[in-house]
Amino acid sequence: MANQAPGVRIDGLTVVYKTPAGELPAVRGVSLRLEPGSITGIVGESGSGKSTLALSLLNAVQPPGRIAAGSVEIDGLGDVTGLRGEQLRKARGKHIGYVFQAAQNSLNPLKTVGKQLLDLGRSHGVDDLRGLVREARELLGRMGLDGARVLDSHQHELSGGMRQRVGIMLALVLNAHLVVLDEPTTALDMITQANILKIVREVHAERGLTTLVITHDIGVVAEVADRLAVMYGGRLVEQGPTREVLGAPRHPYTQGLIKAIPRLVGDIDEARALPGRPPALATVPKEGCVFRERCPSRMDVCDTVDPEPTADGPRIVACHAVTAPVAEPGTLDKEHA
Amino acid sequence: MTLITRRLAGHLARGLVMILVVATITFFIVNNIPGDPMAARYEKLIEGGMSPEAAKQAVKVLYGFQPDGSMWQQYTDYLSGLFRLDLGVSVTRPGTPVLEVLGEAAKWTVLPVLAGTLLSFLVGIILGVFAAIKRTGKLGDALAISGSLLHGIPQYVLAMLLVVIFATLIPILPADGSVDILFEPGFNAGYLGSLAEHAVLPVLTYALSAYGGWILAMKSSVVTVLGDDFILAAELRGVKRSIVFRYIARNAILPLFTLLALSLGLLLGGAVFIEKIFNYPGLGWLLIGSVQDRDYALMSGAFLLITAATIVANIVADLFYTVIDPRVRGGEGAS
Repeated sequence: MANQAPGVRIDGLTVVYKTPAGELPAVRGVSLRLEPGSITGIVGESGSGKSTLALSLLNAVQPPGRIAAGSVEIDGLGDVTGLRGEQLRKARGKHIGYVFQAAQNSLNPLKTVGKQLLDLGRSHGVDDLRGLVREARELLGRMGLDGARVLDSHQHELSGGMRQRVGIMLALVLNAHLVVLDEPTTALDMITQANILKIVREVHAERGLTTLVITHDIGVVAEVADRLAVMYGGRLVEQGPTREVLGAPRHPYTQGLIKAIPRLVGDIDEARALPGRPPALATVPKEGCVFRERCPSRMDVCDTVDPEPTADGPRIVACHAVTAPVAEPGTLDKEHA
Repeated sequence: MTLITRRLAGHLARGLVMILVVATITFFIVNNIPGDPMAARYEKLIEGGMSPEAAKQAVKVLYGFQPDGSMWQQYTDYLSGLFRLDLGVSVTRPGTPVLEVLGEAAKWTVLPVLAGTLLSFLVGIILGVFAAIKRTGKLGDALAISGSLLHGIPQYVLAMLLVVIFATLIPILPADGSVDILFEPGFNAGYLGSLAEHAVLPVLTYALSAYGGWILAMKSSVVTVLGDDFILAAELRGVKRSIVFRYIARNAILPLFTLLALSLGLLLGGAVFIEKIFNYPGLGWLLIGSVQDRDYALMSGAFLLITAATIVANIVADLFYTVIDPRVRGGEGAS
């Protein structure tokens, strides 16, 4: 088992969902690298495909969806889109930890946390179950909980923040070094949110993880992520170092998102809502740019040609208006080397 | 544990009050039905040449009944009898306590209905799981349709259908009765075999008519649990399939246990038509007989027994839930 942070390379990933109108892409041609030891944040609106992308990392896209093209290479595991059955099951939990949204009930309501921990240990052939319990107690204690008490509790006896910490514990207790957090702070109050983010940051550093955070809250990403990727209509429209992207957004969608954030100081009216609404699975344009309907810098070429992600130093943007279009078609080079 | 004891005490108190209310209502209803068998008998004795005093005495000895007692007095007599588990004396079977008659009949109802219910429950929930997992395929459709179909046929129609098929068209099973009188009652092969043979059609009726409800309820319960986040969460943590299956099964079966306990409560009163059709000497058969004979004591006793069974089943269902569902057990704070 790899005892250091793995790198992840997602290449040309397309995930389609089977609908009465045929197979429609929820994620289309997405390429993304997670550097070993980094925290990457993916932001996007509901339905932008970010959760589907997160599930692809565990090859866990739920039917009627399926991975139609592309690969997800994880150090120490290989291409997870090729994993099946027992191999896949063993990779989940042991190599890749997945933390569910806090509001969701990710625990069996009829069993104590401790018993579910033992189920997890047995599933992964852990011989030293006592050691596992000790490890879990330490992790929970590290996150400010009374480990022994929490292990003896049922889900309904825990608050949202406590459940989320239990979720993080279960994702890490088997010593996984790649952790995916899907909306880790949604539905938590501000103080608990801040607490959870602090824990994510600290645990990430202490244990040497590669972390992916999925959220619709730019604030969360700004707080924890080294790199930021913005998703829209199943496409990654912009990515780069968090500070640079937030400080000087290039894609019109990212610019719109940041303008829409109300400031603590100043007039509330300074925040500009993005006009229009995001596309749903069935309304994503078949050709051309996915964002053109709401784009202030729309050009003719946007109707017909889908802008390719183009690297400029550490930043990648998929927009005709940014990458001076027409003359030279965008390079397919996703590696910002 | 104290919580369960407290709960039990509360239930018992409420149950007793309910039984008392039901006993009161049935007493007054039954006593106000036109046609008074006691008065009829009393007058018959007088017509036979007995003095009113002697007739009164005879009725009192035979039935424990005072023809000229007020309704109120009869009511208090009845209630005080109840507390000693004395339900009075059967009118049509002079000298036999109602409780004894009921007890004799109850075993003919309880065993076949219990067998039928448990059989249908087991088969129904197991097939219900398959109906849920294969719900998009042909097998799932077939199972669901079998459930709806059997659920839709009235129990007595099913009973008559079975008689026609297995006693008339293919005469392999007896159409009615509980046992052949040829055999010496006791623990011998002939008697037990005859008992079993006679029980097949009633049990099958109970089982088939209940099966549809179980398979449909279990199917929808499993489908609900399959959509729950914690199942996906367990899969994403790499929990073994067999363990995930246990998570699904235990969560899905929970609401069905309540239904099971309740249906066991209805077990005493639910077999009226069926016992009539199969001429099976259980409680339902007894109840119909007592109505026809105007055996008021027996009637009230039967009603009361059926009510009490339902109330007890409710209590059992609730307590059972307390044991199997930690969310109900918990209450306040940590366990």
